[in-house]
Amino acid sequence: MESFGGSVKLMLFIYALAAVISLIIAWMIKYLFVVIRMQSNRAERSKKAKAATSPMPSAATPRRKA
Amino acid sequence: MPEIDFLNIFQGIATMVASDPHIAVARVVLIALGIAFVYWGVKGTLEPLIMIPMGIGMACVNAGVLFLSAKTMGTIFIDPIASEPAKLLDVLQIDFLQPIYTFTFSNGLIACLVFMGIGAISDIGYMLIAPVRCMFIAIMAELGTVLTFPIAVAMGLTYKEAAAIAMVGGADGPMVLYTSLMLARDLFVPITIVAYLYLSLCYAGYPYLVRLLVPKHLRGIKMDQKSVPNITAAEKITFAIITATVLCLLFPVAAPLFMSFFLGVIVRESGVKQYVEFLSGTVLYGSTFFLGLMLGVLFEANTILNPKVLLLLFLGMTALLLSGIGGIIGGYIVYWISGRTFNPVIGIAGVSCVPTTAKVAQKEAHDANKFVMILPWAMGACVSGVITSAIIAGLYVTVLQHAP
Repeated sequence: MESFGGSVKLMLFIYALAAVISLIIAWMIKYLFVVIRMQSNRAERSKKAKAATSPMPSAATPRRKA
Repeated sequence: MPEIDFLNIFQGIATMVASDPHIAVARVVLIALGIAFVYWGVKGTLEPLIMIPMGIGMACVNAGVLFLSAKTMGTIFIDPIASEPAKLLDVLQIDFLQPIYTFTFSNGLIACLVFMGIGAISDIGYMLIAPVRCMFIAIMAELGTVLTFPIAVAMGLTYKEAAAIAMVGGADGPMVLYTSLMLARDLFVPITIVAYLYLSLCYAGYPYLVRLLVPKHLRGIKMDQKSVPNITAAEKITFAIITATVLCLLFPVAAPLFMSFFLGVIVRESGVKQYVEFLSGTVLYGSTFFLGLMLGVLFEANTILNPKVLLLLFLGMTALLLSGIGGIIGGYIVYWISGRTFNPVIGIAGVSCVPTTAKVAQKEAHDANKFVMILPWAMGACVSGVITSAIIAGLYVTVLQHAP
């Protein structure tokens, strides 16, 4: 018969290790999400800034007739 | 005209008369139980997707016993113990369900196919609302998966058998099937049947546990809908592929399950409609159907006469009960940490069993306050539960694989 004490120790080991791994994955997901969000926000901002600084075609400019 | 022996014509009855009385009684009981499973499945008391094929399989396999030779009795459904190549080749040509058993069941493929389907119906985006909270709840909801292990050992099971039955607390049928195939091959049929029997009762049983442990005013706590971020498919795919790779790196022994689940998730987010329909329809329901049928066909009289079955029934229930309690304790801890703004009912969804427990959480919260919507958070905890169950399954299999 297997030892009960050994099974309790193994249970604690497995639970603790599973908790650590799960929480590491959760933190990893959380920070990855933050980084992705920051990058997409930055890309959006730079896109907006580029659009603001680039010369806009003026409506007042008369079009050349063919 | 030759002399006619009616018992030889109706061999199902003849084998019942010829076999030991306890085997005959067990066969009658299992036929009745199979019919009852079909009835309860059709009625909706038990999960119909599993119980209808399983019940028919049980009733027919226990009725259809015949004389294979002068002294041996058996069926032409399946021979789960045939492993010697020459015999297996013979059996593959005779027993009509043997190809499905040999090529999909005994190697765990069917569990992986079910997992692909589950991945294809799971929105991993919900988990990203609050990944740490979701994962914390899910790990609390694994209480039954770990506490049942020493209880089972104390009751006389080996470490491997104890780990296999403890996985019922993870509330993921494919995971239980996979773990029991890897660790306790002799008991995988009763363990998987116990698991699916109880999992089909989750929808009926967990609401009572929620009502018992969470007062009505707490069940009605509203969640802040504005905190639900809009997550793009590209972000979900990134999370899925990274998480799958990390988990496979950590637990190669459970890599087929991780890959299958996250493959389903990625296919869902990729937007390839044909694949999504294929995995969430044909693959998921096709494999669930054959899983139920195979379990029923494997549930012969000899299985129920195993003295460990009663023990497994008790331990399976203990595991699911403890996991439910653990999940709700997790919900309460997050409720206190969040300044009493978190609905503790979400804790029950950490038990996994996608999407049943999330639906139970939403229904119970809605019954307490009809303006409450907690489903996104509950689905997040539910998907996290799949990941934590797979981590614990990976740990059990890795640690105990080479144990005596």
